[in-house]
Amino acid sequence: MIAMAFYELRLAEPAAFPLAEKMLLVAAIVASLGVFAWRLRPIARNVWGSKKDTDFSLRPVGTRVWTFFWEVLCQAKVIKQRPLPGLAHAFVFWGFLAFALVTLNHVARGFGVGFLQYAGAFGTFYVVFAAVWALLVAVSIAGLFVRRFVVRPKWLGAKVSVESGVIAGLIFWLMATYLAALFVQDGGAAALGLWWVHTLVLLVFLPIIPGTKHLHLVLSPLTVFLKRPEFSQLPKLEGDEDFGLVAGKDLTQMIALQAYSCVECGRCTEHCPASTTGKVLNPKEIVLGVRSYLNENGPGSEMVLLDGAQPALSMEAAFECTTCGACEFQCPVGVQHLPVLIGLRRGAVNTGAWEDKYGTKLFLALEKQGNSLGMSSAERDKFIAKQEFPIFDGSQEYCLWLGCMGSYDPKGREIVSDFARVMRALGTQFGVLKKEKCTGDPARRLGNDLLFGDLAEQGLKAFATAGVKKIVTICPHCVRTMATDWQEYGVAPELEHHSEFMARHAHLLPKQVGENIVYHDPCYLGRYRDVYDEPRTVAATAGDLVEAERHRERSFCCGAGGGLAFLGEESGERVSHVRAKELVATGAQTIGTACPFCNTMFRDALGAVGGEAPPQLLDIAQLVARGLAERSEDADVTIGDN
Amino acid sequence: MKIVVAVKQVPERDAVVRVAADGRSVDESDLAWTMNEPDAYALEEALQLKERAGGGGEVVVLCAGPERVQSTLREALAKGADRAVHVMTPESGEGALAQRDSLDVARLLAEAVRGEAPDLVLTGLQSDDLGAGQTGVVMAELLGVPHATLVLHVELMEGGGGTPKIRVKRELEDGWMQHVEMVLPALLTIQSGGNRLRYATLMGIKKARQKEMREAPAAAAAKRVVEVLKVSPPTRVKQTEMLTGSAEEIATKLVEKLRFEVKVL
Repeated sequence: MIAMAFYELRLAEPAAFPLAEKMLLVAAIVASLGVFAWRLRPIARNVWGSKKDTDFSLRPVGTRVWTFFWEVLCQAKVIKQRPLPGLAHAFVFWGFLAFALVTLNHVARGFGVGFLQYAGAFGTFYVVFAAVWALLVAVSIAGLFVRRFVVRPKWLGAKVSVESGVIAGLIFWLMATYLAALFVQDGGAAALGLWWVHTLVLLVFLPIIPGTKHLHLVLSPLTVFLKRPEFSQLPKLEGDEDFGLVAGKDLTQMIALQAYSCVECGRCTEHCPASTTGKVLNPKEIVLGVRSYLNENGPGSEMVLLDGAQPALSMEAAFECTTCGACEFQCPVGVQHLPVLIGLRRGAVNTGAWEDKYGTKLFLALEKQGNSLGMSSAERDKFIAKQEFPIFDGSQEYCLWLGCMGSYDPKGREIVSDFARVMRALGTQFGVLKKEKCTGDPARRLGNDLLFGDLAEQGLKAFATAGVKKIVTICPHCVRTMATDWQEYGVAPELEHHSEFMARHAHLLPKQVGENIVYHDPCYLGRYRDVYDEPRTVAATAGDLVEAERHRERSFCCGAGGGLAFLGEESGERVSHVRAKELVATGAQTIGTACPFCNTMFRDALGAVGGEAPPQLLDIAQLVARGLAERSEDADVTIGDN
Repeated sequence: MKIVVAVKQVPERDAVVRVAADGRSVDESDLAWTMNEPDAYALEEALQLKERAGGGGEVVVLCAGPERVQSTLREALAKGADRAVHVMTPESGEGALAQRDSLDVARLLAEAVRGEAPDLVLTGLQSDDLGAGQTGVVMAELLGVPHATLVLHVELMEGGGGTPKIRVKRELEDGWMQHVEMVLPALLTIQSGGNRLRYATLMGIKKARQKEMREAPAAAAAKRVVEVLKVSPPTRVKQTEMLTGSAEEIATKLVEKLRFEVKVL
């Protein structure tokens, strides 16, 4: 029997069912669907009853369809970010899809209306096709079972999930009964037994789904399709009573749907710079906290979200987020953490509930001085005069935006000055604004809508008055805030990060050899703007690139984002130290950065964890400018047209 | 307890101040305005007093000036003041704030305070622009209430036979503090830095729109007792000297200069 050729495989099916068994089957199906619906109903009610997402639009449909195809059907993200378990999961998923036809036919058979002719050509093919998948699913689910219960990666949570074991067992039984039916007599008692076991397993499986993380089977395809198209997309506050996520009444349908879709895989936590350095914040628990809140209070509740009954939803946790977006990027089921985390901050700051010495100091500095460092704008005037930066008058192609760091921070100023040298050497005409105020990035990320709105309006007005058409800046935070967050108030001129500008001129930049450079991806350039290659192109002109263990989409935050650069000492290990150690471990002589905040964080971190001879720390603009200095020792030439 | 906080609107700290054509005042045409910093601390102290008392009572914010000062009053309402009184003076010319001396401004404010009959009047110890430091104390004299200056902290005292009292902490020189007990009503001029200021919130701004802002007419300008003769920008007196040489030489020269020229070592 074992030796028979695969084309001889026949799926054994029971003979005709007597009426009593048909009745039993109907009763079992009704019971199963009944329990399924009964358990799903409160969840559907909580999602549907939540606040409408007024900013929701199905457009761009094309992008949504593509994301659905790539992330759901192809399981691309699941596989790419955790290859082995990801592939195992994908096999189970694809196996389920392949089994849809078999399962339908299986149930139909119970009513005597089976439609797959297993003796025919298609039937024979499909039996074998499904058998291959059954084997893959069985092996995969067994592997996932071992991972969850024996290997036990800590991201899955300290508590072993019994229900996951049950589900894995049920899936295994589904496959085993299918495969076994290939080896028993058609129409015999064994075939009948296997049929019933298979059916009952299915009918037990179904009602388990709602109320557990296995609900992702039902919800996540929808969630991935419907999620907000923009990274860290924050909704506009509507009306006089909307201050962000203060209470349950502020949770939207999108947030609720995403919370119920969470599969508790813990990828968000695994990649979170706060969680992994011993802080309170745990992005997975934030999502699950929202879910339990909804389960306990229902939608529309007036109970506070932060520091209320859900321990995970604490003020402390919400303000530990660096907004690096690793969680949102990693999530395989379409959960978008940043609108929740920043939404909670908005709720706390817009109502004045958040009291923090450093946070207040930052807000007052932005209110009064208009910059995050609390410096007098006269200091910027002096710096501009000393560097002889021309004032933008409409005749130049670019407005060089300095940003708070470029205007006031010593290292930021060096970076801006070096970038200006590169622009001058390339013969690019640029000017700077006479006065600049912060783009509002830290206010936006910390949830201060009043301050952010004021700064956005002032910034838009300043560009309009000066007649700026194109902006280039060294700061990815400024780029993101002006290009995306300002949209609530108007449209900023065309923007470019200096890495993009220099990459377009890479063929004109001086070639330098002789050292290894490790490039660190800033969150706001990489995950937020999808710019990974340009800064590498620029850095590669100055030496040989090496990569840190975590790079590109998986890059680890420097710890500065989300306004945290301005807040007090962090608890646990410093995020910047962890990242600096990773960069040092590459053995590169130079660390290349493309964000003045990353730069300043690493400057401090290298002093502590850089070892005896820490690597050099240079912005990519400084790397290029260094080459210009070497070249211009012979002659002070303009590169470009020669 | 009812507290009136008198605030002033002053040019922003970074403002480029130009002397007006008459040579005796400041050109106001191109200035950005903000709340005087010590007044912001006075407001904060008032709000905290009210909060410590369990939220009862009222904080009324008072400001004299042209229409533009309403933005400062709105800011105070947004931060938590209950209502505002605006003593409206002309934008310029006869009766404008800049034309009045400290005594006259104090009269304007005292008149408005009298109508409110508060238990306590708070104001900043001086203004960031003119810095006379007189408005508060003159007001106290005009109102006939006791006053204390350079106050960092105010505490309401319990009981005591029906007369409400306060205990105030005054800042003396060199880290010395003085604690004074006073009977109410009283007037205090508040020193900067005693509290942590609060930030303006979206909710506060929205609530402020619903709050009362009463406009009160200003009395005609009295004859000045203090005359401004001339306003002039500061002249640069700071000198920078670069020390050159090796690190050791520079350090030696620096110590020498600090010891014998600056005499701080």
